[in-house]
Amino acid sequence: MSALLRTMRDGHGFDATLALLALAYLLVFSAFPLVYNIIMSFQEVDMFSLASLVRPFVGLANYKSLFASPDFWPVIWNTVVFVGLCIIFQLAIGFGLALFFQQEFPGGSFLRGLFLAAWIMPALVAGAVWKWIFAGDFGVLNYILQSAGLIDSKVFWLSNPQISLYSVIIANIWLGIPFNMILLSVGLVGIPKDMYEAAALDGANAWQRFWHMTLPMMRSTIGAVVSLGIIFTLQQFDLFASLTQGGPANASNVAQYWSWQLSFQIYDIASGSAVSCLMLGFVIIVAVIYVRSTRHEHRA
Amino acid sequence: MSKTAMLLAGAIGLLGSTVFASAEDVTLDVWTIDRESDPGYMYVMAQEFQKLHPDIKFNIKHVEFADWANDITRAVATGTAPDVAYVDNPNTPFLSSKGALLDISPYLKDSKIVDTSKIFPGPLSTVTWDGKIYGLPRGSNTIALYYNKDMFKAAGLDPEKPPQTWADLYDAAKKLTDPAKNVYGLAFSANANEEGTFQFLPWIQSTGGNFDKVNGEGAVKALELWQKIIDEKLASPDTLIRGQYDSFATFNAGNAAMAISGPWELPRMSKDAKFDVGVTLLPIEKEGDARASALGEGNNVIFAKSKHPKEAFMYLEYMYSQMPRVWNEFGFVPSYPVDVKDPKWPAEYAVFIESMKYARARGPSPDWAKISKAISTAIQQALTHQADAQTALNTAQTTIDGIVKK
Repeated sequence: MSALLRTMRDGHGFDATLALLALAYLLVFSAFPLVYNIIMSFQEVDMFSLASLVRPFVGLANYKSLFASPDFWPVIWNTVVFVGLCIIFQLAIGFGLALFFQQEFPGGSFLRGLFLAAWIMPALVAGAVWKWIFAGDFGVLNYILQSAGLIDSKVFWLSNPQISLYSVIIANIWLGIPFNMILLSVGLVGIPKDMYEAAALDGANAWQRFWHMTLPMMRSTIGAVVSLGIIFTLQQFDLFASLTQGGPANASNVAQYWSWQLSFQIYDIASGSAVSCLMLGFVIIVAVIYVRSTRHEHRA
Repeated sequence: MSKTAMLLAGAIGLLGSTVFASAEDVTLDVWTIDRESDPGYMYVMAQEFQKLHPDIKFNIKHVEFADWANDITRAVATGTAPDVAYVDNPNTPFLSSKGALLDISPYLKDSKIVDTSKIFPGPLSTVTWDGKIYGLPRGSNTIALYYNKDMFKAAGLDPEKPPQTWADLYDAAKKLTDPAKNVYGLAFSANANEEGTFQFLPWIQSTGGNFDKVNGEGAVKALELWQKIIDEKLASPDTLIRGQYDSFATFNAGNAAMAISGPWELPRMSKDAKFDVGVTLLPIEKEGDARASALGEGNNVIFAKSKHPKEAFMYLEYMYSQMPRVWNEFGFVPSYPVDVKDPKWPAEYAVFIESMKYARARGPSPDWAKISKAISTAIQQALTHQADAQTALNTAQTTIDGIVKK
């Protein structure tokens, strides 16, 4: 008994307890919902059988009806465009800003702090603000563009099916820049300054220093930022809810919002689960890339 | 008797009295979308009822309308449903068909207050499932055409002769639209959700269609008219992503000359609108066609698992008996014929009462949410020209057939 107590106090017992606590947490709050979701995607589910595990098994029928749905490919394509454009612009602008704030100038760190405002703001609030900016008849953006003489007639940012997805993308890029900037800044700080000095002495110009030193040294950071960015972008739900609700006519609908619509608007929970399972598969691939790209850091 | 024993006896006595009291007192769990701060129908009713029955207590929970269906179905699934709740009328068959609601027909047989044969057919059909009654309407609403009389005069239209047919409506909207002044002819909602379906269904119904027959000639014409109104910018393109509340705000602000909406707008309009307003029945395709209008508002229901069905039914009866007040105090149209003593907004009241006669329920179908989605999808596809009206409605019809004939 005392031996057991001793190992609990200091020794392997203590280690094991800590690990088990974390494991139990993961099992209950991560693994269980995931598995539950996967199970539901193979069953016939409605709102009232949500709490019971025993439900009719339908095999791949939910997935088949999903693939057969005329909405499926447009929604997937929208998701690809949304994630792709958001990541590219968030990363490019975030990187630019990180490099900019890397130069030391008066008030620089204060300004960098200000950029975090977008990150602190809940997406739903940001959505409400952007809704005013994008409003067709009395929106701020149209007013500015019209007064500047850039457009003749109003642009219906949110209700024009050709534009609405890009409007949400613009709002989401704005929302995601600070996160990219901060992580990339941290990465930049990690690069030793004397290397740049040495390179400058050897005659490397700014572009060469960036291309041959900064970028390779930042590879793992960029990998991490992109993977996390993809995951966060796939989670972006609030902006769709507050700006377009995926409309008009699904023109701005993406997988994550569609999954919610299927589950909670038309109560087709099985199809909603199937959509989120597909997303889950994709996120796992991204997560693997993320883990691989950060592996070097653990070795170091 | 020692001190300890006395204390013990006292404690037991106290315990006994609380047990006794809780056996007497009944607490009804109630869910509503009303707010405590507004007139809040459910809060007012509960307070009044409690004065009459001090032994019945209330525990009222406010649920956002948007979250309602999720929260309530989850509560039913986990056995934590309330005793009494408000249910939007198209959602009622969904719950009654799944056995979530209490069949109140046995109670109704002995009721001295409720006579279901008096209830208008529209609202009655929403609480009926399989010949049984699962709730009582708290009131109804319906939609009509509001118009700005000042703008009618300015455009040379007769403010006492509002549009009666679709052609009239289009002509008026065209004359009233004035982009230079930021004025659209018409404001309505073609949202991709229930509101779009709610606004469009009466157009189908007045031409002989219904929720299960949406691709008839009249329905196609109606959708083509909507298309034309949006294409020619007689209504804002934002109509596609805007709910009724926001659309009507543009009417109040003088940025739309006509608006399609319901009586729930009257309190806000009488505050915000600085012009003369007229209301008329929803236009029909041509003179002599059947009238139709949407049926809104909802029902008070009792959940099947309620431990106090008797008290809950007494409460339902009380709310039902207050129907003569609902127009003036809460902005609902009564669901059975009542005498409203000097109604507020008498002219509007007359139009909405008349409109109530033509109000048709959405469904009833336990799969209403899916049907509604099919209809609103067709509307959006046609208005964004992803498909022509006929094709969009044919697609919706196929989807609906798959649901209804299951």
